Amino acid sequence: MIGIAPAWLAFMFGWHIAMVNLGIGLAWLVPYLKNKAVKENDRDLERAARSLMRFYAATYGLAGVFGTAFTVFLLSYYPDFIGVAGHIALIPFAISILMIALHFFSIIAYWYGWDRWSHNTHNLIGLALGVSALLIPFGFRGVFAFLNIPAGLMVEATPAGTRYGLDLGAAIFANPTTLPLYVKSIAAAFTVTFFAVMGGYAYRYAVARTEEDRRYAARIMRIMAKPAVAGAVLMIVLGLWYALSLQVVPYKFNNVFASLGWRTGPDPTPYYNVAWLFVLKMLLFAVQLAAVALAVPRLLRGESLTEGQLKLITLAGVAAVLTVPLGEYLNAFSQYPFFIAAWPDVLAGHVTPQQLVTQYGVKITPPEALPAVIEKVNSIVLVDGAGSSAVDVLQKLVQKYPDNNYFRALLAEAQISVNEIAVLPAVVYLTYAFVAFLTASAVYLLYIVLSPRPQATVAAVEAEH
Amino acid sequence: MVYPAWSSYPVPGLRALSFVGIATHWTILQYVLGLPFLTFLALLLYLRSRDEVWMKIARTLAKGFIVVFAVGAATGTGSEFGLVLLWPNLTEAAGRYIYFPLYAEIFAFMMEVVFLYMLWYGWNRINPKALAVVALLGFLGAWYSASMIVSVNSFMVAPTGIVPAVKAEGGKLVYLYDEGYPKITAAVPAPIVQLLNITTLQKAAHMEIVGTGKVSLAGTEVPVVVVRLPVSVVQQLVREAYEDKTIAESILAAKSGGKYILLNTTGIAALASNPEQLKTLLRITGALPVVEGMGVRLEAGAKLTPDQVAQVLLQLPVKNMLDAILLSTIKTVGVMTVTFHSPVYPASIVHAIGAGLVVSGFTALAGYALRMLRMTGNEPEEYRRYVETAFKFLAVFSAVMIAFQGFVSGHEMGVAVAHYNPEKFATMEGTAEGFTNIPKLLHVEGLVEKMMSMVAYGDPNVGLPSYDEIPAHYCRCKLSGQPAFDCRPPLVIHYIYYTKIGLGILLGLYGLLVALVAMRDRWGWADRLLRLAKIEGRPRWLLRLAIVFAVLAQMVSNMGWAVREIGRKPWTIYGLMTVDVAATTNSLAHLASSVTLVALYYVAILAVLVYAVYRILWLPGKREAGHV
Repeated sequence: MIGIAPAWLAFMFGWHIAMVNLGIGLAWLVPYLKNKAVKENDRDLERAARSLMRFYAATYGLAGVFGTAFTVFLLSYYPDFIGVAGHIALIPFAISILMIALHFFSIIAYWYGWDRWSHNTHNLIGLALGVSALLIPFGFRGVFAFLNIPAGLMVEATPAGTRYGLDLGAAIFANPTTLPLYVKSIAAAFTVTFFAVMGGYAYRYAVARTEEDRRYAARIMRIMAKPAVAGAVLMIVLGLWYALSLQVVPYKFNNVFASLGWRTGPDPTPYYNVAWLFVLKMLLFAVQLAAVALAVPRLLRGESLTEGQLKLITLAGVAAVLTVPLGEYLNAFSQYPFFIAAWPDVLAGHVTPQQLVTQYGVKITPPEALPAVIEKVNSIVLVDGAGSSAVDVLQKLVQKYPDNNYFRALLAEAQISVNEIAVLPAVVYLTYAFVAFLTASAVYLLYIVLSPRPQATVAAVEAEH
Repeated sequence: MVYPAWSSYPVPGLRALSFVGIATHWTILQYVLGLPFLTFLALLLYLRSRDEVWMKIARTLAKGFIVVFAVGAATGTGSEFGLVLLWPNLTEAAGRYIYFPLYAEIFAFMMEVVFLYMLWYGWNRINPKALAVVALLGFLGAWYSASMIVSVNSFMVAPTGIVPAVKAEGGKLVYLYDEGYPKITAAVPAPIVQLLNITTLQKAAHMEIVGTGKVSLAGTEVPVVVVRLPVSVVQQLVREAYEDKTIAESILAAKSGGKYILLNTTGIAALASNPEQLKTLLRITGALPVVEGMGVRLEAGAKLTPDQVAQVLLQLPVKNMLDAILLSTIKTVGVMTVTFHSPVYPASIVHAIGAGLVVSGFTALAGYALRMLRMTGNEPEEYRRYVETAFKFLAVFSAVMIAFQGFVSGHEMGVAVAHYNPEKFATMEGTAEGFTNIPKLLHVEGLVEKMMSMVAYGDPNVGLPSYDEIPAHYCRCKLSGQPAFDCRPPLVIHYIYYTKIGLGILLGLYGLLVALVAMRDRWGWADRLLRLAKIEGRPRWLLRLAIVFAVLAQMVSNMGWAVREIGRKPWTIYGLMTVDVAATTNSLAHLASSVTLVALYYVAILAVLVYAVYRILWLPGKREAGHV
């Protein structure tokens, strides 16, 4: 069992990332539909754009809250990590933050300025919305890739303490996982959005009371279908690219694939086996492929769908959204309990310090300070306390490498606990109570946002606009 | 006499950037503190009267906060990441020791988001009573959020257990800097006390022992000694901790005549023959992994020689030892309550929420004043009644709130500052001899001194703390000579403070006048009073001034924060951490160009946003007036 700290982090991040992925897709889809609607004077597209924007604005606020919750939880459970990460990851985080500021502004200006700006100005804001949506994950994914391999890490030991930095060029180009991770994430966000929107409209089609509503829903489904299929195919290629890039991080790679028969590195032992998460993710992907194979062709031919096919498309939409947190869990827990996935291989001697310097652009000044740096970063593991899976993993590593004092020291540390005052029983129970109450409220809020509005309300809101 | 300027402390660029980020956030979030509360009040008035006008007012106020809320969330995220990136050591320390209010604030944030959005999206779907409950939960979420964040800020202003260096005693002020004050109260685990030369610490460093106790650390019940340590020593240990120094590189290992001054060599040697106590010490200081790393299996019964014990302890990071002390101190006070025990917290939270209500009241008042100014007389009666009712409601609310801020919460805040931040108080009053302060300029220094003394200490004859009596280097550690800069706040805050007070008084007078004018048709005495002052009807100049005073309300509030934050310099956490220790070591953050670019970017987005909000909030009003 993982400890309470990573469990809460996973919960918060799961909510956050699912909504954020929809946000990235909608940030392009909504302005595209709105622009097309204006140019072609198409009421269906205008209606869809407005409806999706409404959903987007509400979910983005929630996504922001869960994202903030994630960072604050991380700060509370692993303050040392945040301290070091704050020093090192200044540039990638700064890129993301500056883009978040622009993105929030764009959402507000786009939504509230729907009928108030000129068409061109509105489009320009839509472009800012889309571009910022792509650049926010550029910074964050840079940090995630750094957590695979600390490429570009710069450390200087001075009499006034350790100075940290990051060589951005090395972080992007010397890290074989940066680009695959980023490109795959963006493609996944668009694919998920297309499937989710298609699924949502399949549901609307199924519950529609008038022929007009059915026609409208079917049309939006058809618009989403082709890009969804293209996205699904692209995901197979990009998923493979990212998996191949992870071969330079054997500990992580083997935790996912070794028990499925695909191994790499001198020690192919899966110390924390998460192959089941990969299989589960593939099953969810299979649901999307089934929808592509069994329902989409009929949809594209303009034929009416059966109840089963509508259910399958709806299910594919749900499956697509669930694939997102599952993929993130797979990526994160495959390096559990290490914050930096390459570190166990460095500590075990499979990756030499020389390789770190030459292949991955790590710069340590003076070079003799490397062991101290390793020790400093080494101390940052997801310590979970006695009885947790983190301790099991480290025990296995100690058994495998009995003379390795690094693993032994880590094991001693992992036995202690995460920031102990952050997981006091009172705090944990309080967290359960609040999260239960707020999750129920959030679900009700989504119900309010998504449920059809009474005609009188629609008229009132339109009058207000 | 040379006095420190704002820029004479370290990292001015980072401080300026943080100022831009946090001031922007504060400017916006005051509306999140105030507008939902005003909406709630309007809904209550609707439920009482069933007059649709109140529902309309509530809806308009809700529209205001729903726009700014999203921006507030964005600037809040920016501020949060700004803290992590620019002040990572501060963030790390906060996460380790005072995480709870930050952690609990997340639930407040969720409450705000869920219920404020629910209020907006559910306006026409939820019945009015339920809507009022949702508004209640929404504004409580915002206030709960503020109470958590302000508790952390209060801890930074005056940490729990701070003992100030100036006190009013026997009708006069007594300065205790020569006795090592200000001091921080800390619970030091007994195994750590055993390592230290207590007699020297008491005599030379003015450490005081004030009690004993027990605390659970790393799963072990450990006795603690409660002490009061001079901030000059505490800040040095914090500095060394974040410079990754070991005990051997610390002032703790300073020697005189070949002997340790602060380490107790006898106590250290004795640990070798007491393996249980040694293990406790190693466990609470996180040194067990270090020993395991040396290949010594203490848990398996292996023993260390006295030399090995000394070697391990000298190689121990100062951070580990400090961690054990801070953790036991926090646990002694209460993990979940430590920040709320800050002596300035009660006044701070009331004053902060009050500021949000004042700013929201005056801003909304300005919005309706504008509508009145634009009226041509051809508007439908329904619209006129709506605008006039809102104007009256907001005029009375603003007047009451500014009076509360001035006479109640502002007063309490001032008293708290005078008692727990005497250096800041002396600076606010500009009591340095060679400094031109405002009372001096106005030739009223005697009167102001007596008045402020009365307000602060309840006695007009006590006087005000003298800036010149505060040693410029009261926070400097004598053994290390750190920090090198002046420990007193910059005198510029005197001008900010007095400008704030002056504008606050103007705001109060305007609030009173506008409330009387708004209510003259219902309060006969107000009408008579205004007639005496030859003010007839509802003068247009008074309505125009509403816009000016909405801006002034923001200025007053932001200047209050500026005094609070700049007045804490050179500290980031008073008595514990100075700004240079809190700052990032990443060289890019220290480049003037990158700091300027980021600040400009932020300000540009804010400017465009202000324009957008103007269009969004104002245009419907124009249309409404024309078509209803």
